[in-house]
Amino acid sequence: MSDIAKNTESDEDQPAIEGELVPERAPDDLEGFLEGEDLPEPSELRDAARDLKALPSADAAGNQRSWLVYVLLPAVFLTSALLGGLRIASETGEFIFHRPALICLVFATLMLVLFFRTGLISLGGWFSESLSTLQNAANAAVMTALFAATVQMFNSLIPEQGLAFWIVSFCFLWTLGVSYFSVADATRLARSTVALFVAAFLTKYFLLANLTSDASGNWLQRLWSDPTREAVTYLLDLPRYSSATGYIQFFAAALFLLGLFLVPSRTDADRG
Amino acid sequence: MKPKHIQISGLVLTAVYGLFVLWIYWAAPKTVSDVSVKARETIEQAANEAAAATGTYEVDQEKFTQGLNAFRAENYVLAREMFSQADPKAIDPKTQYYIAYSFYRQGWGRFSNDDELFKQGLEQVNKVIALDREFRADDENLKLKHPVELRNELEEGLRITADDFNPLKLTRERQ
Repeated sequence: MSDIAKNTESDEDQPAIEGELVPERAPDDLEGFLEGEDLPEPSELRDAARDLKALPSADAAGNQRSWLVYVLLPAVFLTSALLGGLRIASETGEFIFHRPALICLVFATLMLVLFFRTGLISLGGWFSESLSTLQNAANAAVMTALFAATVQMFNSLIPEQGLAFWIVSFCFLWTLGVSYFSVADATRLARSTVALFVAAFLTKYFLLANLTSDASGNWLQRLWSDPTREAVTYLLDLPRYSSATGYIQFFAAALFLLGLFLVPSRTDADRG
Repeated sequence: MKPKHIQISGLVLTAVYGLFVLWIYWAAPKTVSDVSVKARETIEQAANEAAAATGTYEVDQEKFTQGLNAFRAENYVLAREMFSQADPKAIDPKTQYYIAYSFYRQGWGRFSNDDELFKQGLEQVNKVIALDREFRADDENLKLKHPVELRNELEEGLRITADDFNPLKLTRERQ
């Protein structure tokens, strides 16, 4: 260690330039420095350079963050959007791509407003005139993917038709409305969103799915074998889907929540 | 890789994947193998649209000839299918006129006509008129050369008048 460093007793006493501490040189030290007494050997410099390369650089961390925000997140959200409307027909096992109802778009918009309002996602941190056009465009793409995934999440969790559709939609509207006026911080919103989605998932894929009668046989046979289920299915107008639908929707919801957990509050720290 | 390059990659990936998701919901394939069938159909449709937009659209001559042979052999169902395949965009007046004519010939009867086929023929011939008002068939086997003549024949066939009960009408010939 050089004499200059030894003389530095406390970093707090040093002036700060651009966040770095620069030791003040005493006139005696400066003379010695100019005479070349304390200059390190070339081999020492090489070792120091090697050590510096081995350290994780800020660039690498920034790159990792960019990969996460601009590649991984859209992929996660779009996969969630792809799977959110997928149902498997009970009898034939065919794919049914259920398009979202208009109310899903309204709920998704409300949800995004809540994200911005509570600061879970900072609007100014994602879109700003201080950012480059490219970064603003890339951020817009990520937000579009998030919106699509949110729409499809509501599409996945709200029953497709009938009385159940209206009841669950009303519950969603009520919860989102209450959250809008009462939830002020991001952590509470995140918890409330997870709880809301879990409750809706359990309602649709456990409660209602178990009340739906099998698709096998004609209606008379079904009524004879299980009159309650057949009656509930008829009264609530429940569609008959394969149990694989529940597994797919669980995966889609898990992906969406994972994506939401990974979304940074702002991106203006990593400018391209 | 620079953050700028990652952002560009992300934009491209999001656009491509997003379009794929939209396409899946539009095409709604029923099975995994159906995805490739729907993709081929979409590409063909897009190619036809592009060809029509750029003025390079052409009727598939091989299919058209097959349709014409079926039409002359009075196999009108097959003829219509072949003509539809030959002109998937349904913008070639000649092919569309043959389709309209096939409805007329199949629906024509000495005692009574098939109203359902005549109605479809009427819709079809109106399409031909919309495509080309000046169209004239160059086939000698078709006695009604102009779409308006065919339309008149189809309308007459659908209308019930006192003239329909004229026994001399039994001697009329199919056009």
